[in-house]
Amino acid sequence: MTLARLTLEKIAVRFGGLIAVRDLSLSLAPGEIRGLIGPNGAGKTTAVNAISGVVPIEQGRIFLDGDDVSGLAPHELSRKGIARTFQHVEAFGDMTVLENVMIGVARHAPVSLWSAAVGTPFARRTELAYRKDALDILKLFELEGYQDTVASELPFGLLKRMDLARALASRPKILLLDEPTSGMSESEADSAIQAVRRLAEQFSMTLLVIEHNMRVMMALADVVTVMQQGAVIAEGTPHEIQNDPVVIAAYLGDEDADA
Amino acid sequence: MKISPATWFGVVAVGAFAIAGSFMGSYPIYLLSLAMINIISALGLNLLTGNSGQISLCHSSFMALGAYVSALLTSMLGLPFWVAIPCAVLIAACLGTLLSLPTRRLRGIYLALATLGFLQLVQITLEEMSELTGGVRGLKVPQPTVFEGQPLNYYSIYLVVLVVCGLSILVTRNLLASRIGRELNAVRTSPHASQALGVSVDRVKLIAFALAAGYAGLAGGLLAVVVGFIDPNEFGVSAALKQITFIVVGGLGSVMGSVLGATVLSALPELLRPVKEYSDVIYALILLGFLIFVPRGLAASLEHFVMSPIRKRVGRKTLS
Repeated sequence: MTLARLTLEKIAVRFGGLIAVRDLSLSLAPGEIRGLIGPNGAGKTTAVNAISGVVPIEQGRIFLDGDDVSGLAPHELSRKGIARTFQHVEAFGDMTVLENVMIGVARHAPVSLWSAAVGTPFARRTELAYRKDALDILKLFELEGYQDTVASELPFGLLKRMDLARALASRPKILLLDEPTSGMSESEADSAIQAVRRLAEQFSMTLLVIEHNMRVMMALADVVTVMQQGAVIAEGTPHEIQNDPVVIAAYLGDEDADA
Repeated sequence: MKISPATWFGVVAVGAFAIAGSFMGSYPIYLLSLAMINIISALGLNLLTGNSGQISLCHSSFMALGAYVSALLTSMLGLPFWVAIPCAVLIAACLGTLLSLPTRRLRGIYLALATLGFLQLVQITLEEMSELTGGVRGLKVPQPTVFEGQPLNYYSIYLVVLVVCGLSILVTRNLLASRIGRELNAVRTSPHASQALGVSVDRVKLIAFALAAGYAGLAGGLLAVVVGFIDPNEFGVSAALKQITFIVVGGLGSVMGSVLGATVLSALPELLRPVKEYSDVIYALILLGFLIFVPRGLAASLEHFVMSPIRKRVGRKTLS
């Protein structure tokens, strides 16, 4: 049996009186693409926030490659190899696309404040290395034409691509994608999915993807986990999930409630 | 080592000011020195507020620290000013760090209020510890000397301020062009994305506070030497607010903004001297006008109306 890349062991997240995630257990194999679906309010985004350390977990533990990483700060988790994108792209609006990606680039040897202030040759060399790494990533995402564009001036589709590029720049082991294709047209979504698949293979990354679009999920995920009211209600291949009566009931029930 | 055109420009400017100063009387030189000290303090505040997004209303307190510590080190321990001022900078930076530890989780108006509280604390301490600080009557600063020699004359002091100001601008530019500079801006625009990308938001905010306090300490130390006398009043709320206006009028988050804002607003009271009775009113009107009509500051206007047309023209020439 291979060691799981990411394991959630009965985690729970509570906001005041509301239990957003209860007893959530998941295990992701290295290189796996896992889908996470569920009706609105099922706790998908909260689960992703818990894994990336943004919200604290009340119970349970999280393991990365067998190491307990529960309770670490978001930036520590990021440095350990857990990257994420945001549902509403959190761009650094007044920075250029290149600078946005440079923030994400995996760290080189740290440059001391003094060294940076004086502008030593070491500081300059490191700066050039960051630049080069970022440019390489931009090329991969066909964004090199936009390197000097200020992020706030980028159309939404490109912004999403930049967000992905920024997250990948750190060469993560796991990438958490929160609705990567929301706001995209069908063809944009398809090409984004192609890119994500290719990158996951190329960097042998594990992916956890929240997605509403079942068509996208069918094309992307190896295994799909379904959540409802903070708990897992089903798990299986996309095909199994699509025909699972429990899942269908969950979605229809949700729609009834909305109506 | 490659030296950028902007650095060359800076070196030439420092040289020009040094030469120009030798033809000036003591009063213009005094005003120029004050303007440069304002630039140094504005550079620090802009890193903190303009770049890292933390509003501080106690920048003048760190200036006070710099001024009093360096003055006391000179008068009581007999340290020369060029040792006393760096010591004062370090102490100010340490206090900035200490202040940031509890306040870095505060946002916007709450941080502003906390820093305002710190300012009052420093004010009261300066006034109450009168055996050490002279209290409200103020403190006379010993004249600066080099190696037990003659006291420096006003022109030499001006040269010191000029060079330190030039170096401060260079250092700030270097910092902003490095990873820490990008992280300062990233933390302001999206703390969430920053931490998801491995940036420790707390650490970056702490560094911003330490840097800002250090710059203010430097400005304060120089101010003590230039003026020769300090009292708590000079570092009160109105001074803190004036420093905020420097960076707002000049341009938040921009080195050029700090330089322009501090220069223009330092010159304004002198220019308004002929209409002295109305100078406060006119100052306020100019300030309001800026906030309404030039919200992105002088630096952005300079870039838009002067620098970018020049760059385009130069670019075209080199192309053809």
